[in-house]
Amino acid sequence: MTIPKLKIISWITQIVAVVIMGQTLFFKFSAHPESVQLFSELGMEPKGRLLIGALELVACILLLIPSSIVYGALLGACLMAGAVIGHITELGWEGPRGELGMLAIVTLICCGITIVIRHRELPLLKAIHSDTPTERGRRKR
Amino acid sequence: MSTKLAINLHKLARFTNTAIPILATIFFLAGRYISFYYHFLTVPLLGLLLVNLYYLFGQKNHSLLRNFGILGQGRYMLESLGPELRQYLFSGDTEERPFNRTERGEVYRKANNVDSAASFGSQNNFDATEIKLRHSLFPISRGDVEPYRMTFGEERGIQNAYTLTVPIIISGMSYGALGKRAVRSLARGIAQTGGLMNTGEGGYPKYHLMENCDLAFQIGTAKFGVRNRDGTLNDQLLAELAAKEQIKMIELKLSQGAKPGKGGMLPKEKITQEISELRGVPMGRDIVSPTHHAECQDYPSTIAFIRRIQEISQLPVGIKLCIGDPRQFFELVGEMKRQDAFPDFITIDGAEGGTGAAPKAFLDRVGMPLFPALKSANDILLAAGVRQRVKIIASGKLISPGSQIIAFCLGANAVATARGFMLSIGCIQALQCGSNTCPVGITTHDPDLERGINIPDKALRVANYIHSLEHDLDELLCSAGARTVSDLTFDHLYIPNESALYPFANHS
Repeated sequence: MTIPKLKIISWITQIVAVVIMGQTLFFKFSAHPESVQLFSELGMEPKGRLLIGALELVACILLLIPSSIVYGALLGACLMAGAVIGHITELGWEGPRGELGMLAIVTLICCGITIVIRHRELPLLKAIHSDTPTERGRRKR
Repeated sequence: MSTKLAINLHKLARFTNTAIPILATIFFLAGRYISFYYHFLTVPLLGLLLVNLYYLFGQKNHSLLRNFGILGQGRYMLESLGPELRQYLFSGDTEERPFNRTERGEVYRKANNVDSAASFGSQNNFDATEIKLRHSLFPISRGDVEPYRMTFGEERGIQNAYTLTVPIIISGMSYGALGKRAVRSLARGIAQTGGLMNTGEGGYPKYHLMENCDLAFQIGTAKFGVRNRDGTLNDQLLAELAAKEQIKMIELKLSQGAKPGKGGMLPKEKITQEISELRGVPMGRDIVSPTHHAECQDYPSTIAFIRRIQEISQLPVGIKLCIGDPRQFFELVGEMKRQDAFPDFITIDGAEGGTGAAPKAFLDRVGMPLFPALKSANDILLAAGVRQRVKIIASGKLISPGSQIIAFCLGANAVATARGFMLSIGCIQALQCGSNTCPVGITTHDPDLERGINIPDKALRVANYIHSLEHDLDELLCSAGARTVSDLTFDHLYIPNESALYPFANHS
């Protein structure tokens, strides 16, 4: 079971990630010139912008539903990793771009922390992190 | 070195481990120079790469993952699916333990009141291991079978003697082991048939009492519900409980088949606020009852303790035990004669184990199986000339009329089963009784899982199960030419040579 204290930390990171991803949705879906510019440079305008926006929306929703948090974090981490790659390869880090890039990194870290805290909830991994050997003391007589 | 598989898994794993970073790089370059969309593949591969690196170099727990990486994961995935796949697809109808599919199916059909006739012969290993009833050349008709009646406490002539009219008793399952809805379903169902239910050792039987059925209150070694702080019996509390209208008998549990010589166990996952109050125990750690009653140090003190409970409760009082050494049982009976104090009934529990959580060594290796133990106990009581003073209840995997009739032939006056009744209310043998995750909501206190149990529907199944068992038992009695179960004897049994009863059989 996840320890309660860690659960609180996980919720904080989840909410940070949701807030950061959520506020960019507005720019993406309303075709804000800056957002359009970004995706044009990536060669993904307009379908890619809408696709990524939709996926981010899904990630935000999953991150807020208790039974699916870890999946939301996984999706969010993948999207943010993509964003970071975009900044590294195409977009660069000048001025406001750098700010956006940093936000992407923060979200990536938040999602990563959520995954680490809740890794036991990932179904396929369940089998392997069940038993960590602990030392068993010799019985006192 | 040769390997049995045509594929060399280690080579394949090394290939995979090399391919992942190469593919990640290729897709990264494609994303860089062809289309950014390729990064949809780059990112998952990078994730896979990270996990793989962690498996190969980070974690130290699993050798397989250190050697094979992410491909080794496949083994754990397949293994975790194994129990379900085996149960659903691959296990034969007579293969599973403790109850195979034919045995479970019979209970389900009885509970649903569906005809249980089968065709084209027995599924069992017919010649070698199955004990059979020797039927009579002159069967009697159903009308000649006498209704079942057995009175506990008549030998002592006590005022509160209890007459049992249903030969099948619900064996001890506490609120704690079972959830409240399961307990109430069983209690309501048995109330509809007029039978008897054992409360188990779970303290004050709050939910058992709700449905107005006849109850036998069980005192375990921790004496939940009737204990003093130091673990001894509190006379006052016992007298109060025994005064309740519904409580007809008291059963003192000396040992149980799942873990003879070890106290009852309730895993901490299953201890709710309410259970901790009903039992008077703390939450958050496993409850492990003492191995024995503080009052029972030797033969004389054990018999004296039984007599004391009889005096306090003014009810029929019996003991439940799993026999380890018949010679000790012989000594116990000898002591009963010396003190001229007899329990009103003795429940012989087979060593097979039931819902109870028990260490595997105890489940598998401790205690005598039911049939030889029952036969020995009956013989000892007969030889001592006190068989009439004590009734015998048999319990241990007696879920079908076929096995119950064997118990009657071996000397039982009544039979008790716990798991049979669990199956009747929908148990699917998921083997999770101790982890509070019972998928059908029987042995759990999780409200989301308990939700699956509809009490009126399940109560009907319990009643159906009992009525079908009674019907089948009557028909078996007819075929054996016996008017009551007490007419059955060991001579009614055919014992094949691979049976545990074979040494007892007369081979002449």
